[in-house]
Amino acid sequence: METGATQEEQNRWLGKILVSLGSLFLLCCPLFLSSYGEGLMTRFLIFALFAMSYNVVFGYAGLLSLGHAAFFGAGGYTVALLKLHFGVDLFWISAPLGFVIAAFTAALFGIIALRVSGIYFLLVTFALGQMLFSLAWNVKWLNSKGMQGITGISLPDLAIQGLTLNTTWYYYLVLIFFAISVVVLYRLVNSPYGVALVGIREDESRMAAVGYNTWLYKYLAFVISGAFAGIAGVLFSYYNFFVSPHHLGIATSFLPMVMAIMGGVGTFFGPVIGAVVFIFVENYASILTPQRWPLILGGLFVIIIMFARDGVGVYLWRLLSKVTPGYGSIKG
Amino acid sequence: MEVLKVEDLSKRFGGINAVNDISFRLEVGERVAIIGPNGAGKTTLFNLINGQLSPSKGRIHFFGRDITALPTHRRAHLGQARAFQTISLLLNLTVLDNALLTLHGTRPHRFKMFHPVKDFKDVFEDGVHALNALGLWEKKDEPVSSLAYGEQRRLEIGLGLAMQPKLLLLDEPSAGLTIDESSDIVEIITNLRQDMTVLIVDHDMDMVFEIAERIIVLHYGQVIADGTPEEIEADQHVREIYMGVEASDTTLKAG
Repeated sequence: METGATQEEQNRWLGKILVSLGSLFLLCCPLFLSSYGEGLMTRFLIFALFAMSYNVVFGYAGLLSLGHAAFFGAGGYTVALLKLHFGVDLFWISAPLGFVIAAFTAALFGIIALRVSGIYFLLVTFALGQMLFSLAWNVKWLNSKGMQGITGISLPDLAIQGLTLNTTWYYYLVLIFFAISVVVLYRLVNSPYGVALVGIREDESRMAAVGYNTWLYKYLAFVISGAFAGIAGVLFSYYNFFVSPHHLGIATSFLPMVMAIMGGVGTFFGPVIGAVVFIFVENYASILTPQRWPLILGGLFVIIIMFARDGVGVYLWRLLSKVTPGYGSIKG
Repeated sequence: MEVLKVEDLSKRFGGINAVNDISFRLEVGERVAIIGPNGAGKTTLFNLINGQLSPSKGRIHFFGRDITALPTHRRAHLGQARAFQTISLLLNLTVLDNALLTLHGTRPHRFKMFHPVKDFKDVFEDGVHALNALGLWEKKDEPVSSLAYGEQRRLEIGLGLAMQPKLLLLDEPSAGLTIDESSDIVEIITNLRQDMTVLIVDHDMDMVFEIAERIIVLHYGQVIADGTPEEIEADQHVREIYMGVEASDTTLKAG
């Protein structure tokens, strides 16, 4: 066995190399991908961001929420409604507003949901998400004429002279937001605040006894996480050209949870790996069997749970680094 | 100076008075033990003092300030530290992470969101110091769950001390320890700074009589005796309750 210091150093280098390779690939991939592949990559980045935001609450703070799509959808609906009712295409109005409204929704829901914990927290977040779903389903103002959901969303206007956005440009726009979010969230989970979240997940009463206002920590995590889910939602509605009530409800809330679990809950890049697996398997499985792709995805999920319970990301990392990173350790 | 003043404190659970009209005061630097049979309300009393429970009746003052309605984390900031009856360390995290998290808790920068946690050098140095003093520095990168039970206990108490509290609450520190490990704990406590006030609950009478300058005896949620170890040892009422009626021949200490 090697000494801890060099092992740690090696792992740090390995991490740096992997992140650099990943960044390089993300930067260059539009050069050799078809526009279909590009769309798929855009979709992957959006859901990776969504899953990372969810991981702050679920993985780090240990709060099992089943209503995270409410914030994703709130961001998406903001963009869609601005377009539908006010004809707003300008990215710099829609996106910040989507972010703020998602954060505001999370601030409101957090006050209600964080009064309880454990299974009750799960149920309350689920119920709140379903309330938004049913609101979006039933209120006429929240739907395009004659249908459920809002269509007619187009790629955003960035108000840059001489630039009309195409899907390649849009991929890079999403990549920029993804990168910013990665940096911000990475700093967040490695700050005293983020480390305290892990402590609260492990033993809340101890953290209170040594001076942490645990409620406030969880609440802030919930709001921050909701705000980032809102960014993902904003980017998604431009990508998808269409938002439906399902983007607020349980069907969408499951996605980041499944991705986080597949990739590695409570590790920083786990949800990103989970999103890779999910998005690409979903895509190719649905080409293979248009009717039965959920079966393949479900089967894969079960296999991962059984044989790589800590997640594919953690599993691969162990293979590469040949050491066992302390699961749930602060360094993640 | 008065550290803690508990006035007419009561806690009811359903129809049971777990703590019933308890009043006492602690002066700075006092080493006080609370003893009593199982179910006497000792841990409930601790939960009331540290804020895990709120009382049904009565008030708690800490350095003259009414803290009855303050949440636990605010009491930690005012200078209370507690070691729980069952180990309450963060078992999946490393020894060092536990130390740092404990020390960050009462510092103003605990809410900092965008600074790496390892940038806070002063906290790190305090953590290193605390772990060295406990003889656990060698194991800093091991998860707490892999430590022996005695080491976990020592770590928990040591981290409580590292918070430099004004009042240290120890709930059965010797539970589950060997005699050697217990005497380690006794040594730690007897070597504390003189201005640190210690309130301790324990069943280990040897330990209680070694540490405490004053003993409060609880029975069915009420204080039935409060005095020096000698007074308590001589108290007939305590002997009857604590040792059973036929205890007059044995000494309390031997129990």
